[in-house]
Amino acid sequence: MRVGFPHFGSVYITVKAVADRLDAAGDQLIIPPPMTQKTLDLGVKYSPAEACLPYKLTLGSLIEACELGADILIQARGTGICRLGYYAKDQEQMLRDLGYNARFVNLDVSEHKIRSLRQLIKDLTHDAPLSKTISAVFFGLSKLFALDKIEKVVQKTRAVELDKGEANQIYHEAINAMDEAAEHKEVKKITREYIERLNRVPINRTANPPKVGIFGEIYVVIEPFANMDIEVELGKLGVEVHRTMTLSRWVKYSLFLNYLGINEWREVHKLAKPYVDHDVGGDGWESVGEKVLYAHNGYDGVVHIAPFTCMPEIVAQNVMRSTREDIPVFVLISDEQMGKQGMLTRLEAFVDLLEFRRGNGKRI
Amino acid sequence: MTKVGIPRALLYYQYYPAWKAFFETLGAEVVVSAPTNKAMLNSGVSRAVADTCLPVKILLGHLISLTNDCDYIFVPAVTSLGQKTYNCSKIIGLPNIARALVPESPIILDPEIDLEKGRYYLYRNIYKTGHYFTSNPFKIKRAVEAALERNFAYRRKMPDLGITPTQALNGNEDKDLDYRQGSEGSMRIAVIGHPYVLYDDYINHNLISQLQSMGAKVFVPEMVPGYMLDVATTRLAGEAHWSFENDIIGAGEYYLEQKVDGIVNLSVFGCGPDSMMVKFLEHRAKEVKVPFLPLSIDEHSSEGALLTRLEAFVDMVKRREKLCV
Repeated sequence: MRVGFPHFGSVYITVKAVADRLDAAGDQLIIPPPMTQKTLDLGVKYSPAEACLPYKLTLGSLIEACELGADILIQARGTGICRLGYYAKDQEQMLRDLGYNARFVNLDVSEHKIRSLRQLIKDLTHDAPLSKTISAVFFGLSKLFALDKIEKVVQKTRAVELDKGEANQIYHEAINAMDEAAEHKEVKKITREYIERLNRVPINRTANPPKVGIFGEIYVVIEPFANMDIEVELGKLGVEVHRTMTLSRWVKYSLFLNYLGINEWREVHKLAKPYVDHDVGGDGWESVGEKVLYAHNGYDGVVHIAPFTCMPEIVAQNVMRSTREDIPVFVLISDEQMGKQGMLTRLEAFVDLLEFRRGNGKRI
Repeated sequence: MTKVGIPRALLYYQYYPAWKAFFETLGAEVVVSAPTNKAMLNSGVSRAVADTCLPVKILLGHLISLTNDCDYIFVPAVTSLGQKTYNCSKIIGLPNIARALVPESPIILDPEIDLEKGRYYLYRNIYKTGHYFTSNPFKIKRAVEAALERNFAYRRKMPDLGITPTQALNGNEDKDLDYRQGSEGSMRIAVIGHPYVLYDDYINHNLISQLQSMGAKVFVPEMVPGYMLDVATTRLAGEAHWSFENDIIGAGEYYLEQKVDGIVNLSVFGCGPDSMMVKFLEHRAKEVKVPFLPLSIDEHSSEGALLTRLEAFVDMVKRREKLCV
């Protein structure tokens, strides 16, 4: 049994850690190569033309996993308003047409998440005992949480570092180190070590960087390839980035706290109420609320990232234009036609706008 | 008399008779916007974000045209019509989009129809809407009953008589009985697509009558009885997620089974559900060797391009028949 899965941010580190801990005899985990233009090209070639970018990217990633010999593929599934519900079914048919004999196992991401996760691990590891599964999952998740913790520091440092790119370099080293960690203790040590290193990065102490919030559709917001490293680029322009949506947050609430009746979006939904009063699927409702929230929290601007033709985000975009809150919005629609240079030009203009609004722009 | 405006767009083609019965029983006058025209399209397009799909832009155009003529505008949010099936986000968020982009409109009545949330939630939402017209709950109940009755009659009429919603709404049913029988040996073409694209003749450039004038007998999804749709959808795509999409691909599968000579799929550029689901249908059409023409339209599509492709398709179907016979 060779198990493959599509890339999504740093999820591969968790999956790898869980698989290492459970090591089922004879089975192998296949990690597809990091996303590149080739992944996108493959995905675009074999997807329906009007499918959304996450569909195309995950399909490309799955094809790459199949090329490495995967015969079982993990894909997310949901019952919902958004296209995600049909990803697995469509992609399975497409892979069959391409001649790969792969079976799909689904991770339910909209309801019965815990049960579905347990079932998934049980199926893939030939009934590993529950205690072992739990310890493995927690170990895998601890890496995810640690990485997101480091990323928060990176986002702050990028904006004010003197030597642009240093924080990012350290972050990449941290990802690799985290990938190799085999013990809880090591994870903790790496977290501490790298946060310390990041804090020692020489920074401009007098700078007061503009702050920007990032939100939108979860896949394109979290996967750097899908948004062309917009966070890094904003950092280069001296902008501090804040992103509510992280993998660890999703896990923390969706897998655990939501079961206790704690809704992480309660405040955001409340703020969105005057404009959108019910769920419109995907992250549309949350996007509207987050714009309002960032405006209330005194941010200088927001970046809204959505895949082309994403239904919930189009609702959000249409509604967002008429919210009372006065905050500049940078909309990034990501699809296979996007070009980085175009985005950079627009980003520069956006950052100039933010500076002018703060009153410290240079008049030309 | 209070006037309620109903835009002639999106769900109008599915539910207008029911809505009309509901508001008229409540003692309101129903005003329907004029058929889509260029001015409406332009005003709608100018308001919405560019990525928004054409039907939503058209709805906005109709809303704008209604603003001065009525006291209320009815734009419901039809979220869910069954267990675990939903609609496209844009249909769910329709009242919100409308309110945000047409701020000058009169009060928008927006009951959320969500059967997932249970019966009580539905009743409460309908009651809230009815409350704008009367405070007598029994009158509202009577209106709902009248609406349901009209809806069932309307739904049944189309498969029974073999007519399109346009004909059913206009009330010219007699003429269409012989249209259904048609002349023997003419080719039978199923046109599959969302009702708000198929029956809005302005945006689809009279697709159905063009096909008929080319000598085809045209079948539309509404002519398939409801219970057949569910069966066909399940066979094609397993458990279903989008109610309106199910009707379409279910009808497609049904017509494939009935061995039509060709299928024309009319979808709107950027339609999310279509982009995923029509693939199943296309796949099946390939399997059973039925010609399949996917057409995609948006506000820029021209009549000439559509006609050329349609003529080529019809010619191909005719030639195929000759070869087979």
